[in-house]
Amino acid sequence: MRLVTLALAIALLTTPVLSDLILLKVDRRVDLTSHIVRITATLKVENGGSDLVSEILLAFPELQVNNLAYLTATTKEGKGKSKTSGAGLPIEVANPEGMPPALRFYSVSLPKPLSEGEILNLDVLAVFTHTLRPFPQEITQADIQLVVFQDSAHYLSPYAVKVQSLTVKLPESRLESYTKLENTKAQGLEIKYGPYENLAPFSYTPIAVHFETKHPFATAPEVVREIEISHWGNVQITEHYNIVHGGAKSKGEFSRLEYQARPQIRGASAFRHLVAKLPPRAHSIYYRDEIGNISTSNVWGDSKKTELLIEPRYPMFGGWRTAFTIGYGLPLQDFLFQSEGKRYLNITFGSPINELVIDNLTVKVVLPEGSQDFSVSTPFPVKQGQETKVSHLDVVGRPVIVLEKSNVVPEHNQYFQVYYKFNKLSMLREPFMLIFGFFSLFVACIVYMHVDLSISKSSPSYLAKLQWDEVRATIQQIESMINQCLTIHEKLEASLRDLSRTGDVQACKTARKTADNLLKEHSKELKPLISFLQSSPQAAHTLQKVEELLAKERELQDRLMAKHSTVVDCYERKFAGRDIEARVAPLQQKIVTLRQEVEDLLDYIDEI
Amino acid sequence: MAPKPITSPVPESWYPTLSVVMLAIGLVITASFFIYEATSSRRTRSLAKELTTGALASFFLGFGSLFLLLASGVYV
Repeated sequence: MRLVTLALAIALLTTPVLSDLILLKVDRRVDLTSHIVRITATLKVENGGSDLVSEILLAFPELQVNNLAYLTATTKEGKGKSKTSGAGLPIEVANPEGMPPALRFYSVSLPKPLSEGEILNLDVLAVFTHTLRPFPQEITQADIQLVVFQDSAHYLSPYAVKVQSLTVKLPESRLESYTKLENTKAQGLEIKYGPYENLAPFSYTPIAVHFETKHPFATAPEVVREIEISHWGNVQITEHYNIVHGGAKSKGEFSRLEYQARPQIRGASAFRHLVAKLPPRAHSIYYRDEIGNISTSNVWGDSKKTELLIEPRYPMFGGWRTAFTIGYGLPLQDFLFQSEGKRYLNITFGSPINELVIDNLTVKVVLPEGSQDFSVSTPFPVKQGQETKVSHLDVVGRPVIVLEKSNVVPEHNQYFQVYYKFNKLSMLREPFMLIFGFFSLFVACIVYMHVDLSISKSSPSYLAKLQWDEVRATIQQIESMINQCLTIHEKLEASLRDLSRTGDVQACKTARKTADNLLKEHSKELKPLISFLQSSPQAAHTLQKVEELLAKERELQDRLMAKHSTVVDCYERKFAGRDIEARVAPLQQKIVTLRQEVEDLLDYIDEI
Repeated sequence: MAPKPITSPVPESWYPTLSVVMLAIGLVITASFFIYEATSSRRTRSLAKELTTGALASFFLGFGSLFLLLASGVYV
């Protein structure tokens, strides 16, 4: 750090003033309450020259730039309570000539150029990671964790600064030491430097603050977020974490007993749990690592958010690592939209875990199979790639859009969009895969039943089987014929009942005629079947029963016809109902027993 | 044109019911298919009937198992 200062001091003497801008007032607030350092600078810029100025340079020492994760500048319009902060202004890396070598520059493009004498208010937020250096670097379980923060008491800028001040906000009241300059005040949780007046460009006065922090130093060297879209109503998010406690390294032994008994003292530097803020209506949340589900987790939620508290298997001390996976499902309609023929996913980029620094974040967006024409729009630059993933019921695999970014802080939790085209019919791919699978099973069964798999086509057992198949088929045919005859009988009975109700003799006669015809046809068809059975040796033992069945059926038929003729005759002669019944009674009795016998025989043959 | 949220073609709360109903229908038709295969002999069997029964059964089984997957949280 000393060297840098020296280099700067030398550089400062040789640098020309490049612009006519003057910073009237600079207020800087450094927030050290978490391990992510946030520096907010409020600049009041005046154009002191006569030329229009359309960009402002921000300077950072090279060492800081390596840890700079996020930089944004917003203008403040109006004054007092009606202040509105606009959207972030575009920021680019700039390399102006004739500048000191140990500095890096970013240029902020202003929404409209600044003319002579005009004043602009600018808010600059810079977020740094890995900036708090633990000192001592190794501590035991019982020690408290002390860290050092270094910066400049003066605002480093290529422009002259009229009035400036710096406020450092600390997490704990315990302050080990801090650089004392003129106008320095430490009060409670704050250290104030300044105000300092009329400083030349590139003024730099290093300060160091040495203080205690208990904040979880959760840093993740590697995080992979996978966002899988299913048009059947779900956005599934799976996040693989690899987390390290990035604070002072733990040395000596770890006593679980001491930790359990007095966690505030014997483990002040450790963190026990992490909190993830998931979107509202998240469901099917799980938390597991390589050896299975971790049951120490808790979920609660309301209409605005779902909070998930997860506790690793052990408290995290400095330098300890853990790896785990969390996953959850989100309702589709909250994140997927349609606009101008394209569908787009609108979801946050970063991890939902509070105050987590991610060194390398990979976000994979798995689109449904059959998506085309993808494009991504992100609020900050990311590295893009593409791969395919084969998942449930896929043929060619799903397109995956891979977005990579290093040094990610919670400020990067901004919405990004993935646009793609999708034909609705492609949704039917999955069901058709399943249908095809089941159908091929049925087809296999059909083929198996139809194909003759016997090797020797001339063996006696094979021939016997063929013959037996034929006999069985014939018997089945006979059975169905008999059944048809029985339904015809039913119809005749029905016509008799109609007759007794309506007295329409003519209708009854036509019914009889059609029944006669049908029965005649059936008996004609039955003849070849019977003769086949008689000729076949295989049918010998069933033949007797079949013949018996046929005989009984014939008899039943005859009786029924006789009954029918009698009743019709009686009606024509206008006999009384009681008379008819008396005449028919013996026939009726016989018919009932015969029908029973026919049905018994049918059942018997059916079982063969 | 304002962006329109995309929802699934079938309300998600129907998935369990749909799955049970369609699988039941599918299994009944499958049963009738196999009964037909076992009871009919080679001569009396009709290929068209077998294929239509099989296609119908696989349609119901396919959609039924899709909804079963969706209802159990495997979003395909």
